[in-house]
Amino acid sequence: MRILKLKRQNLFPFLQAISNGAELWGPIKKDNQTIFNFVPTEEIAKLNLNFTRTLLPPKKLFVPPSFIMFQVTNKGYQEDYSWIKERVLFGLHPCDLHGLLNLDRIFAQNFPDSYYVQARQKTLLLGLSCWPDDYCLCQSTHTDIIEEGFDLFFTDLEDYYLVWIGSSKGDDLIRLKPEFFEEGLNEKDIESYIKWRERRAQAFKTKINFVFMPDLMELKYNSPLWEKAGAACLACGSCSMVCPTCNCYNVRDEISLGNKPGRRVREWDSCTLLEYSLVAGGENFREKKSSRLKLWYTHKLQAFGSKFGKPSCVGCGRCLVTCPVGINVKSISDSLEGQKVDAFWVRFSEEVRP
Amino acid sequence: MGKIKIGIYELTGCAGDALLILDCESQLLDIFQAADIEAFLMAKSDNSHGPVDVALVEGSVTTEEEKEELLAIRDRAEIVIAIGNCACEGGIQAALTASENWSKEFRQVYQDLKLTNVKPIPSQPIDAFIKVDYYLPGCPIGQEQFLTTFTRLLAGHPPELYRFPVCMECKWRENDCLLNKNLACLGPLTKGGCGAVCPSHNLPCIGCWGPAEEANRSAEFKLLLEKGFDLESIKRRMAIYAGTTIVDFFNQLKKEKS
Repeated sequence: MRILKLKRQNLFPFLQAISNGAELWGPIKKDNQTIFNFVPTEEIAKLNLNFTRTLLPPKKLFVPPSFIMFQVTNKGYQEDYSWIKERVLFGLHPCDLHGLLNLDRIFAQNFPDSYYVQARQKTLLLGLSCWPDDYCLCQSTHTDIIEEGFDLFFTDLEDYYLVWIGSSKGDDLIRLKPEFFEEGLNEKDIESYIKWRERRAQAFKTKINFVFMPDLMELKYNSPLWEKAGAACLACGSCSMVCPTCNCYNVRDEISLGNKPGRRVREWDSCTLLEYSLVAGGENFREKKSSRLKLWYTHKLQAFGSKFGKPSCVGCGRCLVTCPVGINVKSISDSLEGQKVDAFWVRFSEEVRP
Repeated sequence: MGKIKIGIYELTGCAGDALLILDCESQLLDIFQAADIEAFLMAKSDNSHGPVDVALVEGSVTTEEEKEELLAIRDRAEIVIAIGNCACEGGIQAALTASENWSKEFRQVYQDLKLTNVKPIPSQPIDAFIKVDYYLPGCPIGQEQFLTTFTRLLAGHPPELYRFPVCMECKWRENDCLLNKNLACLGPLTKGGCGAVCPSHNLPCIGCWGPAEEANRSAEFKLLLEKGFDLESIKRRMAIYAGTTIVDFFNQLKKEKS
């Protein structure tokens, strides 16, 4: 993998140059709020380079929360790919890139999902280095560094960026503006990158015992902690919506009036919702919130491992900042380990017997 | 096969749901073309009392006369759909009426007024008296959910209704959680399908689509208490659109306290 150097002031002009003919998406602060979202923009100066995490992960570019799969008339059906455009997505932190690699295993391997695959092929992924806050768990989940899955990756060393070229498409982008880049790093550059890695590694304040979790999930499958968390869970589905690796969806058919085409709609779903495990005849395999939470955490902390090598949590911290009652990867992992946890669901369970 | 026969009926409510149906302007011709509208007081004057395939009933039952009318509708309809918060939950007029204070409260409002044409009873959702096949929640109902339900029924399919709480669509719209910003948002307790309109404008949900299937009232109640809201204001907020169901919850709270 080639590594180049880009002067800080050349980043925005470079992004401008490569987004010619494609939609540029990047992290932008929501008006009057403290949150960031990936949105398309023509004003490159609005891109925020110091954000920690966006509210929704980048999965929304590849599987939108709600989209029309196809239109139906009495003559047959016509798939609708109109939302899939040439895009450049800038600002992906390592956890989010790992999240996309996770989704690739589900949507692009054994049973390719044509919407996902097309959207992926038409979107260039430009990674950006980051600095952890109190909720980042990616060091624990071993997703704080990324070595694949991007076209370009920018590491911010203040005066300049080190730019990793991760694909031939990424190489093509560099060739559009070769004058912006310097080949060959000197000793000092290498030294400052090593220092940066060391400082960043020490900046992580929040940790979980991730490697222990598959065992603990198995051993504590019947632990009362699940009933406690289930009793406080609002079953709102937010954890799944914000999780970069949650990928379940629901499909609805909408019939139209007056010979207009009908449509099939695909929407994000969550296994923490009551309807998720409901089948024909009215049987529900996971009627209790505790068993639904157990399923969710089995995916994040255990079961994905046997199939894909490791559990699916990428440590982005989104569930930590989102769940109103404090049920998240950190509080559940710590509880599984037997630690005393300060979270609403724990306080609630002490007051109310589930 | 003849056209499907529809009746739209209004009991006690603001008629907002009937108005919303009438407000489907771009689809209205198609609706009237696809179905025979047998009864729709807001839209036409020659209303029949004959049999219908689908009866859409708005409003809650607040008089003996409405109860009789409702029973008659059930008798002549294949499918009965409750539309709007009043029909589904009993509406604002049902909040706390099951608290046994109804007669006292009634006198407080109407004093010794002699009622000549109706016999008032505590407001109840329509399923307190008849079997309801489907519920279209909302105050008022959502146009999109109404139309998708209507078209599925025309095609002979059962409607697919939203069963998730407001929070799902709220996240789709990339809103920061208002509960986490210490606002008394009832999103997690409330049926979704509204598109999370209010939270998307930074206004906490007041629950106008009625209680979600799995509303975890006690967790949200304790959460709001912990955030510093006072007990009475939380109770008031939770009671507005929860209809008759809230009374049980408040009784349960009382029991826990004692």
